Amino acid sequence: MKIKSLRKLVFTWNYRIAFLICILMFLSLDSSAQNADADFFQSIGKIYVVVAVVVAIFIGLILFMWNLERRIKKLENQIGD
Amino acid sequence: MKKNWWKFLAIILMLYVLILGFLMPLKPGIISVSPQSLNAGSQITLKVKTYNAKLEELKSADFRAWLLNDTSFAIAASKIAVLNAQTIDIDFEIPTYLTSDDKIVDYSLVIDAPKIGSFVLPASIIIKQDSINVSKGKDLWSKGNFKHLNHYEGFAIPFRNILYETLRNTYFHVSLWFSMFILYLVSVIYSIKFLRNKNQDFDTIGSSLVEVGTLFGVLGLITGSIWAKNTWGTYWTTDVKLNMAAVSMMIYAAYLILRSSIQDEDRKAIISSAYNIFAFFIIIPLIFVIPRLTDSLHPGNGGNPGFGGEDLDNTLRLVFYPAIIAFTLMGFWMSNLIIRYKKIKQKLSES
Repeated sequence: MKIKSLRKLVFTWNYRIAFLICILMFLSLDSSAQNADADFFQSIGKIYVVVAVVVAIFIGLILFMWNLERRIKKLENQIGD
Repeated sequence: MKKNWWKFLAIILMLYVLILGFLMPLKPGIISVSPQSLNAGSQITLKVKTYNAKLEELKSADFRAWLLNDTSFAIAASKIAVLNAQTIDIDFEIPTYLTSDDKIVDYSLVIDAPKIGSFVLPASIIIKQDSINVSKGKDLWSKGNFKHLNHYEGFAIPFRNILYETLRNTYFHVSLWFSMFILYLVSVIYSIKFLRNKNQDFDTIGSSLVEVGTLFGVLGLITGSIWAKNTWGTYWTTDVKLNMAAVSMMIYAAYLILRSSIQDEDRKAIISSAYNIFAFFIIIPLIFVIPRLTDSLHPGNGGNPGFGGEDLDNTLRLVFYPAIIAFTLMGFWMSNLIIRYKKIKQKLSES
Protein backbone atom coordinates (compact mmCIF):
# COMPACT_ATOMS: atom_id res chain seq x y z
CA MET A 1 0.00 0.00 0.00
CA LYS A 2 2.74 2.38 1.01
CA ILE A 3 4.85 1.54 -2.05
CA LYS A 4 1.91 2.08 -4.35
CA SER A 5 1.15 5.54 -2.99
CA LEU A 6 4.83 6.44 -3.18
CA ARG A 7 4.93 5.37 -6.80
CA LYS A 8 1.85 7.45 -7.52
CA LEU A 9 3.52 10.47 -5.92
CA VAL A 10 6.70 10.00 -7.93
CA PHE A 11 4.70 9.55 -11.12
CA THR A 12 2.70 12.74 -10.66
CA TRP A 13 5.89 14.64 -9.80
CA ASN A 14 7.62 13.29 -12.89
CA TYR A 15 4.72 14.50 -14.93
CA ARG A 16 4.74 17.93 -13.31
CA ILE A 17 8.48 18.37 -13.80
CA ALA A 18 8.25 17.33 -17.46
CA PHE A 19 5.43 19.81 -17.99
CA LEU A 20 7.42 22.56 -16.27
CA ILE A 21 10.47 21.86 -18.45
CA CYS A 22 8.30 22.06 -21.57
CA ILE A 23 6.93 25.45 -20.52
CA LEU A 24 10.38 26.77 -19.62
CA MET A 25 11.75 25.68 -23.00
CA PHE A 26 9.02 27.48 -24.90
CA LEU A 27 9.39 30.61 -22.75
CA SER A 28 13.12 30.70 -23.37
CA LEU A 29 12.57 30.55 -27.13
CA ASP A 30 11.24 34.02 -27.59
CA SER A 31 13.75 35.90 -25.50
CA SER A 32 16.75 34.13 -27.04
CA ALA A 33 15.56 34.60 -30.61
CA GLN A 34 14.99 38.32 -30.25
CA ASN A 35 18.16 39.21 -28.40
CA ALA A 36 20.30 39.54 -31.51
CA ASP A 37 22.84 42.10 -30.31
CA ALA A 38 25.72 39.82 -29.49
CA ASP A 39 26.35 36.96 -31.85
CA PHE A 40 26.28 34.35 -29.11
CA PHE A 41 26.30 30.94 -30.84
CA GLN A 42 25.16 32.52 -34.13
CA SER A 43 21.97 33.91 -32.57
CA ILE A 44 21.78 36.61 -35.27
CA GLY A 45 21.23 33.81 -37.76
CA LYS A 46 18.25 32.56 -35.71
CA ILE A 47 19.81 29.14 -35.21
CA TYR A 48 17.77 28.89 -31.99
CA VAL A 49 14.63 28.52 -34.08
CA VAL A 50 16.03 25.33 -35.61
CA VAL A 51 16.99 24.05 -32.17
CA ALA A 52 13.48 24.87 -30.91
CA VAL A 53 11.93 22.97 -33.82
CA VAL A 54 14.09 19.91 -33.15
CA VAL A 55 13.22 20.10 -29.44
CA ALA A 56 9.51 20.32 -30.31
CA ILE A 57 9.77 17.17 -32.44
CA PHE A 58 11.70 15.45 -29.65
CA ILE A 59 8.98 16.36 -27.13
CA GLY A 60 6.40 14.99 -29.56
CA LEU A 61 8.22 11.65 -29.75
CA ILE A 62 8.51 11.56 -25.93
CA LEU A 63 4.75 12.16 -25.61
CA PHE A 64 4.16 9.32 -28.07
CA MET A 65 6.27 6.95 -25.96
CA TRP A 66 4.57 8.15 -22.79
CA ASN A 67 1.15 7.44 -24.28
CA LEU A 68 2.18 4.00 -25.56
CA GLU A 69 3.65 3.08 -22.20
CA ARG A 70 0.39 4.06 -20.50
CA ARG A 71 -1.57 1.80 -22.86
CA ILE A 72 0.83 -1.11 -22.39
CA LYS A 73 0.62 -0.70 -18.64
CA LYS A 74 -3.15 -1.21 -18.86
CA LEU A 75 -2.56 -4.51 -20.70
CA GLU A 76 -0.01 -5.56 -18.08
CA ASN A 77 -2.54 -4.87 -15.34
CA GLN A 78 -5.10 -6.97 -17.27
CA ILE A 79 -2.68 -9.88 -17.43
CA GLY A 80 -1.90 -9.42 -13.75
CA ASP A 81 -5.59 -9.74 -12.86
CA MET B 1 18.48 -8.70 -36.94
CA LYS B 2 18.01 -9.05 -40.70
CA LYS B 3 14.35 -8.13 -40.42
CA ASN B 4 15.19 -4.91 -38.60
CA TRP B 5 17.56 -3.42 -41.17
CA TRP B 6 15.16 -0.55 -41.92
CA LYS B 7 15.13 0.50 -38.27
CA PHE B 8 18.90 0.85 -38.35
CA LEU B 9 18.54 2.74 -41.61
CA ALA B 10 16.08 5.10 -39.88
CA ILE B 11 18.53 5.73 -37.01
CA ILE B 12 21.48 6.29 -39.33
CA LEU B 13 19.53 8.61 -41.61
CA MET B 14 18.19 10.54 -38.61
CA LEU B 15 21.72 11.03 -37.27
CA TYR B 16 22.89 12.04 -40.75
CA VAL B 17 20.09 14.61 -41.02
CA LEU B 18 20.76 16.06 -37.56
CA ILE B 19 24.54 16.25 -37.98
CA LEU B 20 24.71 17.47 -41.57
CA GLY B 21 21.61 19.60 -41.12
CA PHE B 22 23.25 21.59 -38.37
CA LEU B 23 26.87 21.54 -39.49
CA MET B 24 26.57 22.44 -43.17
CA PRO B 25 27.54 26.12 -43.27
CA LEU B 26 25.32 28.92 -44.51
CA LYS B 27 26.55 31.13 -47.35
CA PRO B 28 27.40 34.73 -46.45
CA GLY B 29 24.75 37.40 -46.62
CA ILE B 30 23.77 40.92 -45.63
CA ILE B 31 21.58 41.32 -42.57
CA SER B 32 21.03 45.09 -42.63
CA VAL B 33 22.21 48.34 -44.20
CA SER B 34 22.00 51.85 -42.78
CA PRO B 35 21.18 54.47 -43.85
CA GLN B 36 18.63 53.12 -46.29
CA SER B 37 17.65 56.39 -47.92
CA LEU B 38 20.23 58.47 -49.84
CA ASN B 39 20.27 61.58 -52.02
CA ALA B 40 21.76 61.67 -55.50
CA GLY B 41 25.04 63.60 -55.74
CA SER B 42 26.03 62.94 -52.14
CA GLN B 43 28.89 61.06 -50.55
CA ILE B 44 27.79 58.44 -48.08
CA THR B 45 29.18 55.76 -45.78
CA LEU B 46 26.97 52.68 -45.52
CA LYS B 47 27.19 50.63 -42.36
CA VAL B 48 26.60 47.05 -43.50
CA LYS B 49 25.93 44.23 -41.08
CA THR B 50 26.98 40.94 -42.66
CA TYR B 51 26.54 37.33 -41.68
CA ASN B 52 29.06 34.51 -42.18
CA ALA B 53 31.23 36.81 -44.32
CA LYS B 54 34.42 35.59 -42.60
CA LEU B 55 35.49 39.17 -41.84
CA GLU B 56 38.19 37.92 -39.47
CA GLU B 57 40.01 36.14 -42.27
CA LEU B 58 39.57 38.58 -45.14
CA LYS B 59 41.12 42.02 -45.47
CA SER B 60 39.38 45.21 -46.47
CA ALA B 61 41.20 45.13 -49.80
CA ASP B 62 39.65 41.75 -50.67
CA PHE B 63 36.17 43.20 -50.81
CA ARG B 64 34.40 44.85 -53.70
CA ALA B 65 30.92 46.36 -53.55
CA TRP B 66 28.39 47.90 -55.92
CA LEU B 67 25.08 49.68 -55.89
CA LEU B 68 22.89 48.67 -58.82
CA ASN B 69 19.34 48.42 -60.04
CA ASP B 70 20.29 46.70 -63.27
CA THR B 71 23.44 44.69 -63.97
CA SER B 72 24.48 47.09 -66.75
CA PHE B 73 24.24 50.21 -64.53
CA ALA B 74 26.23 50.03 -61.33
CA ILE B 75 28.62 52.16 -59.31
CA ALA B 76 31.50 50.65 -57.42
CA ALA B 77 32.34 51.51 -53.84
CA SER B 78 35.06 54.12 -53.39
CA LYS B 79 36.34 52.73 -50.10
CA ILE B 80 35.66 49.62 -48.02
CA ALA B 81 36.71 49.16 -44.41
CA VAL B 82 36.15 46.09 -42.25
CA LEU B 83 35.15 47.36 -38.80
CA ASN B 84 34.70 44.18 -36.76
CA ALA B 85 33.61 40.57 -37.17
CA GLN B 86 30.16 41.58 -38.40
CA THR B 87 30.25 45.07 -39.83
CA ILE B 88 31.78 46.67 -42.91
CA ASP B 89 31.81 50.36 -43.79
CA ILE B 90 31.31 50.97 -47.51
CA ASP B 91 31.75 54.44 -49.02
CA PHE B 92 29.85 55.42 -52.16
CA GLU B 93 29.93 58.58 -54.23
CA ILE B 94 26.40 58.71 -55.58
CA PRO B 95 26.25 60.39 -59.03
CA THR B 96 24.09 63.51 -59.47
CA TYR B 97 21.75 61.82 -61.94
CA LEU B 98 20.15 58.37 -61.88
CA THR B 99 19.39 56.06 -64.81
CA SER B 100 15.64 56.26 -64.34
CA ASP B 101 13.13 59.06 -64.90
CA ASP B 102 11.55 58.40 -61.50
CA LYS B 103 12.32 60.67 -58.55
CA ILE B 104 12.83 57.74 -56.20
CA VAL B 105 14.62 54.56 -57.28
CA ASP B 106 15.53 51.51 -55.25
CA TYR B 107 18.96 49.95 -55.52
CA SER B 108 20.49 46.66 -54.45
CA LEU B 109 23.76 46.33 -52.61
CA VAL B 110 26.16 43.65 -53.87
CA ILE B 111 29.30 42.64 -52.01
CA ASP B 112 31.94 40.35 -53.46
CA ALA B 113 35.08 38.77 -52.05
CA PRO B 114 37.27 35.80 -52.95
CA LYS B 115 36.39 32.43 -51.34
CA ILE B 116 33.02 33.60 -49.99
CA GLY B 117 31.65 34.72 -53.35
CA SER B 118 29.16 37.50 -54.00
CA PHE B 119 26.02 38.24 -52.01
CA VAL B 120 23.23 40.76 -52.34
CA LEU B 121 20.56 42.57 -50.33
CA PRO B 122 17.94 43.31 -52.99
CA ALA B 123 16.11 46.65 -53.12
CA SER B 124 17.76 47.67 -49.88
CA ILE B 125 18.62 51.30 -50.63
CA ILE B 126 16.41 54.13 -51.89
CA ILE B 127 18.06 57.01 -53.77
CA LYS B 128 16.20 60.29 -54.33
CA GLN B 129 17.09 62.63 -57.19
CA ASP B 130 15.96 66.25 -57.57
CA SER B 131 16.63 66.76 -61.28
CA ILE B 132 16.22 64.07 -63.92
CA ASN B 133 18.63 63.47 -66.79
CA VAL B 134 18.54 59.84 -67.92
CA SER B 135 21.26 59.95 -70.60
CA LYS B 136 23.78 61.66 -68.30
CA GLY B 137 22.80 59.24 -65.57
CA LYS B 138 23.49 56.25 -67.79
CA ASP B 139 26.97 57.65 -68.49
CA LEU B 140 27.70 58.13 -64.81
CA TRP B 141 26.38 54.74 -63.70
CA SER B 142 28.02 52.52 -66.33
CA LYS B 143 31.51 52.96 -64.86
CA GLY B 144 30.81 50.40 -62.14
CA ASN B 145 32.66 47.54 -63.86
CA PHE B 146 30.26 45.02 -62.38
CA LYS B 147 31.83 41.73 -63.51
CA HIS B 148 34.21 38.89 -62.61
CA LEU B 149 32.22 37.95 -59.52
CA ASN B 150 33.64 35.28 -57.24
CA HIS B 151 31.91 32.02 -56.32
CA TYR B 152 31.62 30.45 -52.91
CA GLU B 153 34.28 27.83 -52.38
CA GLY B 154 33.02 24.70 -50.69
CA PHE B 155 29.74 23.28 -49.50
CA ALA B 156 27.09 25.58 -48.09
CA ILE B 157 23.36 26.11 -48.07
CA PRO B 158 21.98 29.31 -49.66
CA PHE B 159 21.53 32.48 -47.63
CA ARG B 160 17.93 33.68 -47.70
CA ASN B 161 16.95 37.08 -46.35
CA ILE B 162 14.91 36.99 -43.10
CA LEU B 163 15.20 33.18 -42.95
CA TYR B 164 18.96 33.01 -42.31
CA GLU B 165 19.78 29.78 -40.43
CA THR B 166 16.12 28.83 -40.10
CA LEU B 167 16.32 27.58 -43.69
CA ARG B 168 17.50 24.39 -41.99
CA ASN B 169 13.93 23.91 -40.74
CA THR B 170 13.18 22.65 -44.24
CA TYR B 171 14.75 19.37 -43.12
CA PHE B 172 12.40 19.02 -40.18
CA HIS B 173 9.15 20.93 -40.73
CA VAL B 174 8.69 20.12 -44.42
CA SER B 175 9.82 16.50 -44.23
CA LEU B 176 7.42 15.90 -41.32
CA TRP B 177 4.52 16.87 -43.59
CA PHE B 178 5.87 14.77 -46.46
CA SER B 179 6.21 11.68 -44.31
CA MET B 180 2.78 12.34 -42.77
CA PHE B 181 1.38 12.15 -46.28
CA ILE B 182 3.19 8.90 -47.02
CA LEU B 183 1.86 7.38 -43.78
CA TYR B 184 -1.70 8.48 -44.61
CA LEU B 185 -1.37 7.10 -48.14
CA VAL B 186 -0.27 3.68 -46.86
CA SER B 187 -3.07 3.69 -44.29
CA VAL B 188 -5.62 4.38 -47.03
CA ILE B 189 -4.28 1.40 -48.98
CA TYR B 190 -4.80 -0.79 -45.90
CA SER B 191 -8.28 0.66 -45.32
CA ILE B 192 -9.25 -0.26 -48.88
CA LYS B 193 -7.75 -3.72 -48.38
CA PHE B 194 -9.79 -4.13 -45.20
CA LEU B 195 -13.04 -3.10 -46.88
CA ARG B 196 -12.36 -5.64 -49.66
CA ASN B 197 -11.74 -8.74 -47.56
CA LYS B 198 -12.63 -7.75 -43.96
CA ASN B 199 -9.37 -8.94 -42.42
CA GLN B 200 -9.15 -7.29 -39.00
CA ASP B 201 -5.34 -7.05 -39.25
CA PHE B 202 -5.58 -4.60 -42.14
CA ASP B 203 -7.76 -2.28 -40.08
CA THR B 204 -5.29 -2.47 -37.19
CA ILE B 205 -2.44 -1.49 -39.51
CA GLY B 206 -4.42 1.32 -41.15
CA SER B 207 -5.59 2.89 -37.89
CA SER B 208 -2.12 2.72 -36.32
CA LEU B 209 -0.62 4.50 -39.31
CA VAL B 210 -3.24 7.24 -38.99
CA GLU B 211 -2.36 7.72 -35.31
CA VAL B 212 1.32 8.26 -36.09
CA GLY B 213 0.53 10.36 -39.17
CA THR B 214 -1.65 12.66 -37.07
CA LEU B 215 1.12 13.04 -34.50
CA PHE B 216 3.46 14.06 -37.34
CA GLY B 217 0.87 16.48 -38.66
CA VAL B 218 0.39 18.14 -35.27
CA LEU B 219 4.18 18.36 -34.90
CA GLY B 220 4.23 19.90 -38.38
CA LEU B 221 1.79 22.57 -37.20
CA ILE B 222 3.80 23.27 -34.03
CA THR B 223 7.17 23.45 -35.80
CA GLY B 224 5.67 25.65 -38.50
CA SER B 225 4.25 27.90 -35.83
CA ILE B 226 7.64 28.31 -34.14
CA TRP B 227 9.22 29.04 -37.53
CA ALA B 228 6.50 31.56 -38.38
CA LYS B 229 6.96 33.41 -35.08
CA ASN B 230 10.61 34.03 -35.87
CA THR B 231 10.28 34.91 -39.56
CA TRP B 232 6.77 36.27 -40.11
CA GLY B 233 6.50 37.64 -36.57
CA THR B 234 3.43 35.74 -35.44
CA TYR B 235 2.58 32.23 -34.34
CA TRP B 236 -0.51 32.05 -36.50
CA THR B 237 -2.08 34.13 -39.25
CA THR B 238 -5.28 33.64 -41.20
CA ASP B 239 -3.22 32.36 -44.10
CA VAL B 240 -5.03 29.87 -46.30
CA LYS B 241 -2.30 27.20 -46.14
CA LEU B 242 -2.13 27.35 -42.35
CA ASN B 243 -5.88 27.20 -41.89
CA MET B 244 -6.34 24.35 -44.35
CA ALA B 245 -3.56 22.39 -42.65
CA ALA B 246 -5.31 22.93 -39.31
CA VAL B 247 -8.63 21.80 -40.82
CA SER B 248 -6.92 18.63 -42.14
CA MET B 249 -5.63 17.87 -38.67
CA MET B 250 -9.11 18.37 -37.25
CA ILE B 251 -10.51 15.91 -39.82
CA TYR B 252 -8.05 13.31 -38.57
CA ALA B 253 -8.71 14.23 -34.93
CA ALA B 254 -12.36 13.48 -35.73
CA TYR B 255 -11.24 10.09 -37.07
CA LEU B 256 -9.55 9.25 -33.78
CA ILE B 257 -12.59 10.40 -31.78
CA LEU B 258 -14.87 8.40 -34.08
CA ARG B 259 -12.85 5.27 -33.47
CA SER B 260 -12.82 5.64 -29.72
CA SER B 261 -16.56 6.33 -29.58
CA ILE B 262 -17.74 3.10 -31.30
CA GLN B 263 -17.78 0.07 -28.98
CA ASP B 264 -18.53 -2.70 -31.49
CA GLU B 265 -15.20 -3.79 -33.07
CA ASP B 266 -16.59 -4.75 -36.51
CA ARG B 267 -18.61 -1.58 -36.92
CA LYS B 268 -15.67 0.49 -35.68
CA ALA B 269 -13.39 -1.04 -38.30
CA ILE B 270 -15.79 -0.61 -41.22
CA ILE B 271 -16.91 2.95 -40.43
CA SER B 272 -13.42 4.25 -39.64
CA SER B 273 -11.92 2.63 -42.76
CA ALA B 274 -14.52 4.30 -44.96
CA TYR B 275 -13.97 7.61 -43.13
CA ASN B 276 -10.19 7.27 -43.58
CA ILE B 277 -10.53 6.94 -47.36
CA PHE B 278 -12.77 10.02 -47.55
CA ALA B 279 -10.52 12.01 -45.20
CA PHE B 280 -7.45 11.36 -47.34
CA PHE B 281 -9.12 12.49 -50.53
CA ILE B 282 -10.44 15.61 -48.76
CA ILE B 283 -7.03 16.72 -47.45
CA ILE B 284 -5.42 16.52 -50.91
CA PRO B 285 -7.37 19.56 -52.20
CA LEU B 286 -7.21 21.21 -48.76
CA ILE B 287 -3.41 21.15 -48.55
CA PHE B 288 -2.29 21.03 -52.19
CA VAL B 289 -4.95 22.67 -54.33
CA ILE B 290 -6.78 25.46 -52.47
CA PRO B 291 -3.63 27.23 -51.13
CA ARG B 292 -2.25 27.38 -54.68
CA LEU B 293 -5.38 29.10 -55.98
CA THR B 294 -5.16 32.13 -53.70
CA ASP B 295 -2.45 34.34 -52.25
CA SER B 296 -0.50 32.78 -49.45
CA LEU B 297 2.48 33.70 -47.32
CA HIS B 298 3.56 30.10 -47.15
CA PRO B 299 6.24 29.08 -49.67
CA GLY B 300 5.10 26.79 -52.46
CA ASN B 301 1.68 28.40 -52.86
CA GLY B 302 -0.17 31.15 -54.72
CA GLY B 303 2.07 34.11 -55.50
CA ASN B 304 4.97 32.66 -53.53
CA PRO B 305 7.40 30.13 -54.96
CA GLY B 306 8.47 27.15 -52.90
CA PHE B 307 12.07 26.44 -52.14
CA GLY B 308 12.28 25.10 -55.66
CA GLY B 309 14.61 26.06 -58.47
CA GLU B 310 17.49 28.08 -57.11
CA ASP B 311 16.34 27.97 -53.51
CA LEU B 312 16.07 24.25 -52.91
CA ASP B 313 19.52 23.75 -54.34
CA ASN B 314 21.43 20.50 -54.35
CA THR B 315 23.05 21.10 -50.97
CA LEU B 316 19.60 21.30 -49.35
CA ARG B 317 18.37 18.25 -51.26
CA LEU B 318 21.34 16.30 -49.92
CA VAL B 319 19.76 16.44 -46.46
CA PHE B 320 16.10 17.08 -47.28
CA TYR B 321 15.38 13.82 -49.14
CA PRO B 322 17.12 11.60 -46.55
CA ALA B 323 15.12 13.49 -43.89
CA ILE B 324 11.85 12.49 -45.57
CA ILE B 325 12.97 8.84 -45.68
CA ALA B 326 14.16 9.00 -42.05
CA PHE B 327 10.89 10.45 -40.74
CA THR B 328 8.83 8.00 -42.80
CA LEU B 329 10.78 5.00 -41.51
CA MET B 330 10.46 6.38 -37.97
CA GLY B 331 6.72 6.65 -38.56
CA PHE B 332 6.51 3.04 -39.72
CA TRP B 333 8.51 1.95 -36.69
CA MET B 334 6.23 3.86 -34.32
CA SER B 335 3.08 2.50 -35.96
CA ASN B 336 4.59 -0.97 -35.82
CA LEU B 337 4.71 -0.66 -32.01
CA ILE B 338 1.04 0.39 -31.92
CA ILE B 339 0.09 -2.49 -34.24
CA ARG B 340 1.77 -5.02 -31.94
CA TYR B 341 0.10 -3.46 -28.91
CA LYS B 342 -3.31 -3.67 -30.59
CA LYS B 343 -2.79 -7.31 -31.62
CA ILE B 344 -1.90 -8.31 -28.05
CA LYS B 345 -4.97 -6.43 -26.83
CA GLN B 346 -7.18 -8.33 -29.30
CA LYS B 347 -5.71 -11.68 -28.24
CA LEU B 348 -6.34 -10.81 -24.58
CA SER B 349 -9.95 -9.83 -25.17
CA GLU B 350 -10.59 -13.01 -27.19
CA SER B 351 -9.25 -15.33 -24.53
